[in-house]
Amino acid sequence: MRGTLTVKGAALLIWALLLFAPFLFQDVRQIEVAARIAIFIVLVASYDLLIGYTGIVSFAHTMFFGMGAYGVAIALKQMGPGWTPVLLGSAAGVAVALVLAVGIGLLSLRVKAIFFAMITLAAASVVLVLATQFSQFTGGDDGMTYRTPDLFKPATKLLVDAEGKVLSIAGVKMNGKIAAYYFVFVISAVLFWAMLRITGSPLGTVLKAIRENEARAEGIGYRVVAYRTAVFCIAAGTAALAGATYAVWLKYTGPQTALSFSIMIDILLMVVIGGMGTMWGAVIGATLMVLAQYYLRDLMEVAAGATANIPLLPELLNPERWLLWLGVIFILLVYFFPSGIAGTIIQKGDKA
Amino acid sequence: MTHPSLSTRDLTIRFGGHVAVNKVTCDFRPGELTVIVGPNGAGKTTFFNMISGQLLPSEGTVTKDGVDLTRLSPSTRARHGVGRAFQLTNLFPRLSVLENIRLAVQAQTGDGRRFFRPAARFTDLTARAERYLEATRLEKVAHLPAATLPHGDQRKLEVALLMAMEPDIYMFDEPTAGMSLDHAPDVLDLIAELKHDPSKTILLVEHKMDVVRKLADRIIVLHNGELLADGDPDEVMSSQLVRDVYLGTAA
Repeated sequence: MRGTLTVKGAALLIWALLLFAPFLFQDVRQIEVAARIAIFIVLVASYDLLIGYTGIVSFAHTMFFGMGAYGVAIALKQMGPGWTPVLLGSAAGVAVALVLAVGIGLLSLRVKAIFFAMITLAAASVVLVLATQFSQFTGGDDGMTYRTPDLFKPATKLLVDAEGKVLSIAGVKMNGKIAAYYFVFVISAVLFWAMLRITGSPLGTVLKAIRENEARAEGIGYRVVAYRTAVFCIAAGTAALAGATYAVWLKYTGPQTALSFSIMIDILLMVVIGGMGTMWGAVIGATLMVLAQYYLRDLMEVAAGATANIPLLPELLNPERWLLWLGVIFILLVYFFPSGIAGTIIQKGDKA
Repeated sequence: MTHPSLSTRDLTIRFGGHVAVNKVTCDFRPGELTVIVGPNGAGKTTFFNMISGQLLPSEGTVTKDGVDLTRLSPSTRARHGVGRAFQLTNLFPRLSVLENIRLAVQAQTGDGRRFFRPAARFTDLTARAERYLEATRLEKVAHLPAATLPHGDQRKLEVALLMAMEPDIYMFDEPTAGMSLDHAPDVLDLIAELKHDPSKTILLVEHKMDVVRKLADRIIVLHNGELLADGDPDEVMSSQLVRDVYLGTAA
C-alpha cells in the first residue's frame, strides 16, 4: 500500500496547493498556471478513462474540449456577458459532444482499435477545419474574445471592508479575479471527484475488465459496445465541461487554445508521464507538464546565466532550446518510470 | 424424460472449404452431465464456440428453452443463462481474484451499470463473490492479481467465474488441461458438486478417460466434425467404432 499512499498524498498535496493558489502565488502568471493545471487535470483524467481504464485510443479528445469552449464562447459573443449564455453555451457544447460521441461510438467502437483511432483523428480534423472556416461564428483562426459574467471582472468587489473598499485577506484582494479562479477550481475539483467515483464503482470494474479481456467481459454477460460507448460519452461530456470552464476563464477561445492537435499531444504526454489507469496519475502528469511548459524556459535562462563562463553549456541551455530539453526530460521519465510516475511508484511501492 | 434445456439442430460451420462441425443435432437435459470426447481437431471447441456465441454457425440453430440463440451475441447468451469456461485460461489478469468473481456476479445482478457508489459498498455483491471464493477454496488469494496465481488456481478461478454467473447451462472446456494430478481433483470435485443441482445442464469437454468415467451421465463423440456416437458412457466407450477412432485403427 505504500506506493498508493505516496501517489495519493502527492496528488492531494497538488490539489491543496491549487486550493490555496491565489494566496500562495500572487503573480498573475502563476494564477494562470494554477487554473490551467486544474483544467488539464480534468481533461487528462477524462482521457485516462478512455485510454487507461477501458483501453480505447481516441485522438478526438481536444475536439470535445473545443466543443465546450466554443459553445460558451459563441454564446457569450452573441448574447453578451451573463450567466445565461454560460449555461446555454456549456449545455449546447456538451450536447453536441455527446451526440457526436454516441455517433462515433456506435458506428466505430466495433472496429479494431487502430481503425477507431483513425476515425477519431478524422473527426477531429474535420471539426478543426470547420471551426476555422466558419469565421463569422467562430472567429476563424483568430478565435474570439468576449466578456464573461460581471462577477469575474477584476473590478468586482467580492467582499468589502468598512470603508467600502475591496477587502483583502492575507494580502489578497477579494475581487472578480479570485471569483474566476475559484469558479475554475470548484468545477475542476467536482469533475475530478466524480470521475474518481466512477472509476471506483462497479462500472469502473467493468471498464477495467474490458481493457483486460474484452472477449471474456462479453462472455460473462457485458455488452461491451454499450459500455464503451457509455464511457466514451462520459469522457466527451467531461472534456466539454472542462472546455467550457476554460473558455470562461480565458475570455478568449480560438483554435490554439481549444482545438489544436498540440493540445491532444499534450494530453497524451500528460497521461503517459502521470501513468495510465490511475486518476491520481492525471494530477501528477498534468501538473508536471504545465509547469514545464511555463517555467522550463525561465529555469534555463537562469542556468544559462549561471554557466555563462563555461564554453558550450550556455549555448545548450539557451532558453530557445527549451523544447529540446522537454524532450530529453520526457525520454528520461519514460525510461525510469515505464508505467508513468504514479503507475511505477504504485507498482514498486506496493511490492516492497 | 425432462424437456431438453439446450438443443442444436444441424449445427454446421465451414471455414473456407473445411467443414469443422457438420450437422450436429443434439439435445441436452437438466440434471445431465454430458461429456464431449473426440480426438484433437474433432470440432469440440468449435461446437462450444457456436453454443456460447464466439462463432456464428454457417447453418443450423441453437436454442435454449425454446429461445433461438443462433444469432445472439455472447453477452446476450450469457444473460440467457449460458455460461462458458475456456480451455486456455481466460481471466482478467491484472484484476484481483475477488474483482474477477465480482464482475461475474454483478453481470448477473445488472449492477455493472451502477457508476457512482464505490464498488466496495455493494456488500451484497462482495458477499456473493466470497461464497464462490470459498467454494473454490481461493479465499487466501482473494486480493492477488489473477495473473500471479499458479496455473491450478487460475483454472479454479475460471470455474469460480462460471459458477458466479449462475448459469443454467455450464460449459467446461477441458477444465483440467495442463493441471498436475494433485490439483485436478479439486476442479473435478467442484464440477461433481454442481451435479447435485437437478436444474443444471452440464457440458464438459474432456480427454482424461478416468474423469470421463467418473462424471459422465452421457457421452457424445465427435470425429471430423460429425456426431459419431451418443449415449450411455459404458456403451459408447466399449463400442468398436469409438475404440477405432481413439486408437486410430480405423484409419
